[in-house]
Amino acid sequence: MGAVSDDVDTLRLWRENNERKSREILEKWRETLGKNVDKLGNEVHVILEQVCLAALDCFQIDLAHICISRLYKEFPDSLRVKKLEAMCYETNENYEGALKILNEIIKTDPTNSSARKRKVAVFKAQNKIIEAIKELVEYLKIYMADAEAWQELSELYLNEHDYNKASFCMEELILHNPHNHLLHQRLADVRYTQGGFENMELARAYYCQALKLNPTNLRALYGLQMVTSSLAVSSRSTPQKKKDNAHLAQWACGEIKKLYTEKK
Amino acid sequence: MSGGIFYRILVIVGFVSLFHSAYSAAQHRSYLRLNELDFLGLPLDISIQAIFSLYLIVYGVLQVSGKFKEIKASAELDNKSWGTFRNIPSFYTFSHRGKAFSQFYQPPTTKSHLEEVE
Repeated sequence: MGAVSDDVDTLRLWRENNERKSREILEKWRETLGKNVDKLGNEVHVILEQVCLAALDCFQIDLAHICISRLYKEFPDSLRVKKLEAMCYETNENYEGALKILNEIIKTDPTNSSARKRKVAVFKAQNKIIEAIKELVEYLKIYMADAEAWQELSELYLNEHDYNKASFCMEELILHNPHNHLLHQRLADVRYTQGGFENMELARAYYCQALKLNPTNLRALYGLQMVTSSLAVSSRSTPQKKKDNAHLAQWACGEIKKLYTEKK
Repeated sequence: MSGGIFYRILVIVGFVSLFHSAYSAAQHRSYLRLNELDFLGLPLDISIQAIFSLYLIVYGVLQVSGKFKEIKASAELDNKSWGTFRNIPSFYTFSHRGKAFSQFYQPPTTKSHLEEVE
């Protein structure tokens, strides 16, 4: 019994942290959870959903079907289960079928946001990035407060090398969640990739903010080091700025070294 | 650590003084009872002593307890990496190489199929 509740806890942790870990989930399912489905308590449905997603990720269609039919037995009219069915179609690369189901879901429940998000994913899976962006922009006109969607849109724009729009999405995310160092670091990454004097200066500011929020963000340290060392030799910097940037680069270098000696 | 010992003594002195003022208050009540006088309130010096010793204790404890930690709004984010943060379940796509590792997957290897895709 201990092993089962341990595994349930691990799965919950992964679920809450958005970790993909599909193969590990399936292993746990094969070893303990699958044999003890009746003992899972009130989390059984969420776990079935999670295992179903993991199964689709590893192309274990029959396991996914088992999960879905179990869930259907419990909730015959559930749109959430129907969405899983659509995902099954996606895995089999039957994108028309998937879209049909998703459109049905949206028709019965126009406020169903997850089905709309799946539509974006369907386009993405077919590598129709432009369509996916269009769909997602439409979605964001309705659900402006959906941080996940903004993040996805930013990734899609990055795929299309549209850095300005991607950084706009990142800025929107920072407004949603100003204390998240990862977002600041990401926006700095985008600005640094864009290049140019002004963008470099912006990147430096955002890297610094990320480090202020979390001094152990190694990626931000590296970024800061690179940005400041290129600003230190930039022809558009004043001598005072050059000095400051060189100083900052040195500091970042020292911090990186310190972090690595601590890790050892 | 000499400062630490000093503040510790300060806390002890504060407590002793607080107990002393409580004791004086009790004495005062029994004095009133013995002389059959009405209770009109504590004498001023006892109240001042009680309040003063309270502040002494508070100050001493604050110094003894050590340095305060900053309250961080995002402490739980410190150990997260961008890799897990950017992973959003609602936008999963399944057309990735995970398929190829499955025993149920039949890869489309025939030449005619490849031409179809073209």
